Amino acid sequence: MRITFTVLALAAALPAGAAELRFASTTDPNTLDPHAGNSAPNFSLLGNVYEGLVRRGRDMSIEPALATAWEPIGDGEGWRFTLREGVTFHGGEAFDAEDVVFSYERAASEQSDVASWFASVDRVEAPDATTVEIYTTAPNPIFPDSIANWMMMDSGWVSENGADRPNIEQGNFATTNANGTGPYRITERQPGLRTEMEAFDGWWGEDRGNVTAATFQPVQNSATAVAALLSGELDLIEPVPVQDAARVEQADGVQVIRGVEARVIMLGFPHDRTDLYGGGDENPFADPRVRQAVAHAINVPAILQTVMRGSAEPVNQLVSPAMRGFTEGLSGYGYDPDRAMELLAEAGHGDGFQFSFRCPNDRYLNDEAVCTAITTMLSQVGLDPQFETMPVANYWPTLRADEHDVYLLGWSPGTFDAEHPIRFLLATPDEEARLGSWNFGGYSNARVDELLPAIQSEIDDVARQAMLDEVATLTLEDVAYVPLYVQPLLWGAREGLEVVQRPDNFVNLRWITVPE
Amino acid sequence: MVSYILRRVLQSIIVLLVVGLVAFSMFRFVGDPIEQLLGQERTQQDVERLREALGLNDPFIVQYADFLARALQGDFGISYRQSRPVAEILLERLPATLELAFISGFLAVTLGIALGVFTAIRRKGVAANVIMSTSLIGVSLPTFLIGILLIYVFGVQLRWLPTFGRGEVVDLGWWTTGLLTESGLKSLILPAITLGLYQMTLIMRLVRAEMLEVLRQDYIRFARARGLSAKAVNFRHALKNTMVPVITVTGLQLGSIIAFAIITETVFQWPGVGLLFINAVQFVDIPVMAAYLMLISVMFVAINLIVDLLYVWVDPRLRVDGRTA
Repeated sequence: MRITFTVLALAAALPAGAAELRFASTTDPNTLDPHAGNSAPNFSLLGNVYEGLVRRGRDMSIEPALATAWEPIGDGEGWRFTLREGVTFHGGEAFDAEDVVFSYERAASEQSDVASWFASVDRVEAPDATTVEIYTTAPNPIFPDSIANWMMMDSGWVSENGADRPNIEQGNFATTNANGTGPYRITERQPGLRTEMEAFDGWWGEDRGNVTAATFQPVQNSATAVAALLSGELDLIEPVPVQDAARVEQADGVQVIRGVEARVIMLGFPHDRTDLYGGGDENPFADPRVRQAVAHAINVPAILQTVMRGSAEPVNQLVSPAMRGFTEGLSGYGYDPDRAMELLAEAGHGDGFQFSFRCPNDRYLNDEAVCTAITTMLSQVGLDPQFETMPVANYWPTLRADEHDVYLLGWSPGTFDAEHPIRFLLATPDEEARLGSWNFGGYSNARVDELLPAIQSEIDDVARQAMLDEVATLTLEDVAYVPLYVQPLLWGAREGLEVVQRPDNFVNLRWITVPE
Repeated sequence: MVSYILRRVLQSIIVLLVVGLVAFSMFRFVGDPIEQLLGQERTQQDVERLREALGLNDPFIVQYADFLARALQGDFGISYRQSRPVAEILLERLPATLELAFISGFLAVTLGIALGVFTAIRRKGVAANVIMSTSLIGVSLPTFLIGILLIYVFGVQLRWLPTFGRGEVVDLGWWTTGLLTESGLKSLILPAITLGLYQMTLIMRLVRAEMLEVLRQDYIRFARARGLSAKAVNFRHALKNTMVPVITVTGLQLGSIIAFAIITETVFQWPGVGLLFINAVQFVDIPVMAAYLMLISVMFVAINLIVDLLYVWVDPRLRVDGRTA
């Protein structure tokens, strides 16, 4: 009799029309430890299981999660978070300020892959069980924006299982087990094969669809995933290959959900070279007119129409319009091959010159095809690009070794703020200060370097935006990069399935409604 | 005989060592694992720390020696991708590959020999000619295309069979099998056909050619003249004498079925070692790549050894130390 009651009680607790979801993506998270992997596939899956102090809403805005409110301490000394009460982990442990302090120590440790989020943090204190104070070395207005993926772990559970610090190279208990506060708990994990999740009845929140159980399977081959969607073996796949989108759209019983990702695809230049890697003894790209000519030579709308089949948006700065700090009213160079040839002639390179053009072939959507198109367009204005593509596992080491001239790069700002690409792509490279770590071309602009710390510590939104606008204008005039387009998001789903698709490409199970 | 086996085993060990050496010298061309292990917000310090911890700063000879020393104690290291012991991962994935390989190998051998004999005996018949022409598809179409075609026809259009995965498996503790559940068996059909089709047509064509050759020999004519039944002539006398080349090819093909299940496994998302290896290459997961390559070379070496021994059993003339000279 008691068993029956329990079953009835459970049934009552579940939302109407309980449903199961089978979804697939190309990449399996390499770990369940939220502090041992800093990549979108990890956060996408773990975001259903673990939670942070804050989270991103349907429109990417920051909203309360495990903290109900936050405010700056004093004059920008840090941030004070008020914690939600009555929150429990999947294992039944209560969540409190001690867990936050512990999660800070763990996430900011040397062994963590997310330590850079806490570069500006000086110390974290817990004056009482529901208050946490995070002190920063300088005012940090976007700190709450930068910790949406900082996930809280239970200090007791972690210590009992000997996972006090993340372990990227050897793994530990937290690599294959999870215990969060989120709306779903992991019931089975077979790395690389499948992950089973189940709705957590003790979750504090209310905003959820009807998914009570979910199975995630990585499917590496997109054609296989599309076939499985069409045959009804999967309910949701991501991504649908650009070239298959139209076909999937026409098929019965399935739909394509289109959106725009946060990732901007751009071309980079060899700013700091004195010669060319794949060319002569001088570096024509040091001349802004040559870089401008490249910008004018590329017909972005044509690339989007043919290679991307109309599913991407052109862009003229390093962030997409969906990001905080986007600069309005900026106009890019536009396709003008005559102007490009004029500029080249003015710069003394009317006859063109040879250089190397490198591209990954397994990193971004249709990256190789996009680069092939660009190669042709550059040849049409008289330049002589030596085009070479390679898998991403070789691509980054090649760029880091400075074996490149012009190269393709995609950037998705982890903080969803325009400051992020300035720090990583525009700041003069400086290992000590952890700046410009992805600025492979060595772009350097004293004014940008001066503005970056000011942007990072400016509390006033208007003044901050003015500085961001100045950087965007400066780097556009300087042609530090040639921003091309914002990468599209293409999901395939069963007809009638309702999802929320955000620019971060996360699959949020709690916003999914499966049709009866 | 014993000294023969010993000599072969010794040769095999040398082959293994050389394979390992070549593999390790190649790994640095696959890419830098650190790039995949750490996220975009990493610092140079993180990179250096991890590189040191993983021993990536050592020259490849040292890395290889380390690997061998640990492998001899049964420790194949820890996967970069999954942060778990490689041996554990391989044991988890092997059953899927072996089941698939043996089923498709079995199909290839039985159907291949049967059809080969049939087409040789009835070589002017309509059926034989149809079979011969269709078999061209098997030898000429690439595996992934056959796989995708099968998925499209039987998975997407007819919806008879699953398009990917292994279905429900039964865990026996040390082995997981898909042979005991309906969904497991259904899932096995398309990948097994895809993987075995090439081998089947190959064996069939080989058996047919050998049979035609043998059937022309004098002793077959004499056997017929002695009034032996067609069955006895064809199967006891002719077929047995076509077996030496067939065994060689079948043995080697079994090796390649396991080793080259990679493509089939990728197309069908079959959770075996081939898929694991492809993922390891993309992720530059050196411990997994090394262990997989060693495993495959051990297997090839073992199969070659067995094939050599089988020759001796089938063909008495090869018994060097033998009772008959």
